[in-house]
Amino acid sequence: MIKWKEAGGVLAVLLTLAGLPALLWYWQAVALPHHYPPGTKIIALTATADGGLWTQDRIAGYSYWWRKPTRAEEIPLNQGDHVVLLVSSADVLHSFAIPLMRLGPVDVPAGHTVEVKFVADRPGILTFLCWQVCSPEHNNLRGRFLVKASAGAEGW
Amino acid sequence: MASVNVVQEDRVRLEGLKRPWRFDIFAHWPWLKRLVKMRSFQYLVILPNLILFYLFLIAGFFGTPVGNRNIIIVFVWILWWFLLIAVMVPLGSRIWCTMCPLPFLGDWLQRRAVVKVRSGKSPGTENQFFGLQKRWPKRLSNIWLQNFGFLTLATFSALLVTRPVVSAVVFGTLILLAAALALVYRLRTFCNYVCPISGFLSLYAMTSVVELRSADRDVCLKCKYKSCIRGSERGWACPWNVYMGKLDRNNYCGLCFECVKSCPHDNISLFARPFTTSDVALRGYDEVWKACIMLTLAFTYSVVLLGPWGRLKDWANVSEKHNWGGFAVFGASQALLALVIFPALYYLSVRIGKWLARADSIPTKELFLKYAYMLVPMGLLAWVAFSVPLAMVNGSYILGVISDPLGRGMNLFGTADFPWTPFHPAWVPFLQVPILLAGLYYGLRGLHKVGRQLFSDPQQLYRSMVPPAALLLGLTLVLMKLFIG
Repeated sequence: MIKWKEAGGVLAVLLTLAGLPALLWYWQAVALPHHYPPGTKIIALTATADGGLWTQDRIAGYSYWWRKPTRAEEIPLNQGDHVVLLVSSADVLHSFAIPLMRLGPVDVPAGHTVEVKFVADRPGILTFLCWQVCSPEHNNLRGRFLVKASAGAEGW
Repeated sequence: MASVNVVQEDRVRLEGLKRPWRFDIFAHWPWLKRLVKMRSFQYLVILPNLILFYLFLIAGFFGTPVGNRNIIIVFVWILWWFLLIAVMVPLGSRIWCTMCPLPFLGDWLQRRAVVKVRSGKSPGTENQFFGLQKRWPKRLSNIWLQNFGFLTLATFSALLVTRPVVSAVVFGTLILLAAALALVYRLRTFCNYVCPISGFLSLYAMTSVVELRSADRDVCLKCKYKSCIRGSERGWACPWNVYMGKLDRNNYCGLCFECVKSCPHDNISLFARPFTTSDVALRGYDEVWKACIMLTLAFTYSVVLLGPWGRLKDWANVSEKHNWGGFAVFGASQALLALVIFPALYYLSVRIGKWLARADSIPTKELFLKYAYMLVPMGLLAWVAFSVPLAMVNGSYILGVISDPLGRGMNLFGTADFPWTPFHPAWVPFLQVPILLAGLYYGLRGLHKVGRQLFSDPQQLYRSMVPPAALLLGLTLVLMKLFIG
C-alpha cells in the first residue's frame, strides 16, 4: 500500500512540474486565439514608460531589467483585417488611442490587459499613441499600423 | 466544559514558576492525531503549497513585472505574510514549517522518498538517509546566519516586495540552497540554521498558543529507543534534531509530527496553552539579537513604508531611483540600528536596572538574556500591527491575481479587473493601537515573569524592571506615533 502511495506522491509532483507550464502554454497558445472568431488578427501591445515605447515583445519579470524590448514602430495590416489588440502596461498608467479612427482613449492600468477591437476597413497609416502623460518619454509612445489596400480601395 | 480536561499542573514548577494550564488537543480530538499519524500527512499539506509555489515562481519569471498584478507579490507579501505573522504563528506556532515547500526538494533528495520511511542506519538515526550526511559546524549551530540573512533581505525589501522576479530569484535560491545543504549535511540543516524565515518563526513561536510536547516527560526519559530523535520504521528521525524528553520551547520544533508517528509509547501530543506564557527564556545572544533585529525592522519598515518621509522611501527604493549612495546610507543605518544601537539601548536599560536593584549577585549576561523575552511578544504584535494595513489596504489585489495570476490577460473567475478597494482604511489605527498596547502588556508581563525567576525581593524586582519597561514603553509610543500620526 505504502509503495502505491509513494508512487502516487512522486507522480503528483512530476505532474505538477510538467503540467503547470503546459497548462499556461495551452492557455496562451491555443485557448486564447480560439476565444476570437477565426481569422481575427490578435496583436499584443505593451507600453513601457521607461524608454517610452510600444512593443510587441513580451515583457515579463525575467526580461524587465536587462532586455531592451523592440519598439513596435510599424505594424502591417491588410485591409479588412479584424483586429483584436491586447493592450497592456508594464509599469504605469497609460492610455491607448488611434485618433484617426476615433478609437479610444482607453485607460491601460499597470499590469492590466485591455482588449481593443477594430476593423481595418480602409488602407493607410493609422497612428496609435499613448493619450496620457505617463512619463518624461511619453511623446515617444507612438507607433503606426500600415494598412495595405485591397484592389480599388479608398484610403483615409 | 466538564469534558474538557485542562491539565492544571500547579505543583509542577518550571524554572521556579507555576506551569500554566495546557489542554491536550490530541486526547480530545483523536481524529486529529490519526490524521497527523498518517504517513502521507505532511506530503498532503505540502503539496498544495508546492503547486502554488511553483506557480509563484513561474509568475515571478514569466508574469507581469507589475507587483500588484503578479500572484507572487500579492500572495506572498500581502496574504501569506499577514496570515503567517498574525494568524499562523500566534495560533499554530511553526505550523507554516509543517507545510513549507522550500525544503521539499531537499527532503526528497535526502530521503529518496516523499511519503514512505526508510529504515536503516545513518549517523545518529535508525533511518536510511542519502547524501554526504556531514555534521553542521558547531560554531554555526545557532541562528546568527538567519539573523544576517533576514536583515540582508530586509534591506532589499523595497525590491523584494515589489519586483516579482526578485522574489522568484530569492525563493528559487532558497529552494536550491535547501536541496544542496540536504545533500551535504544531516537532517534539515537549512531550516535549522540558514532559512531566514525560520529564524523569526523560531523566536515568535515562543508566544504561540500551541505546543508539541511529550505527554509525560518521565516516559521519554526512561525510553530506551529515543525514536523521536533517532527515527524508527514508522517515522523519520526528527528533521530538527529535537529530543522530546528535553523539549521545553517551541523555537526549534518544526511541527513535522514525525515524532508522533515514531514514538513507541504514544507519548507525544499537541497541547493548547495560554498566549505568551509558557516559553519565556531566550537562551543565547543570537536569539536576543534576533528579537532586536525584528523589532528594529518593524520600526524601520513602518518609517519607510508607512511614514511621510519621501527621501527615505527614495533611498530604500533603489531599483526605481538608482540612488545607490542613498541606499547605502539607508542599509547601513538600518543595520547599525538593528545590530548596535537598539541592542546597546537594551543593554543599557538592563545595566541601569541592575544598578537600581543593587543586584550585584546576578550576572549582567543572565539579566540581559532573560529580560530580552519582553521583546518577543512586543515584536510579534508590532509586526502584526504593521501588517494590518497591508492586508486591509491592499487585500483587494488578491481578487485580481486569483483571476489573472501572471498578469497576462486571463480572467479565470471574472475578477481580473476588480478595482483596488481598500477595506475600511479608517479603521486601521483603531486596530493598530490596541494591538501595540497588547504587545506592551504581554512584554511587561513577560518581563515580570522572568524577573520573578531572578529576584525574590519584590522591591529589587521592580527596580530592575523599570528601565527595560521604560524602553518598551518608549518603543510602543514611537510605533504608535508612526502608525496614527
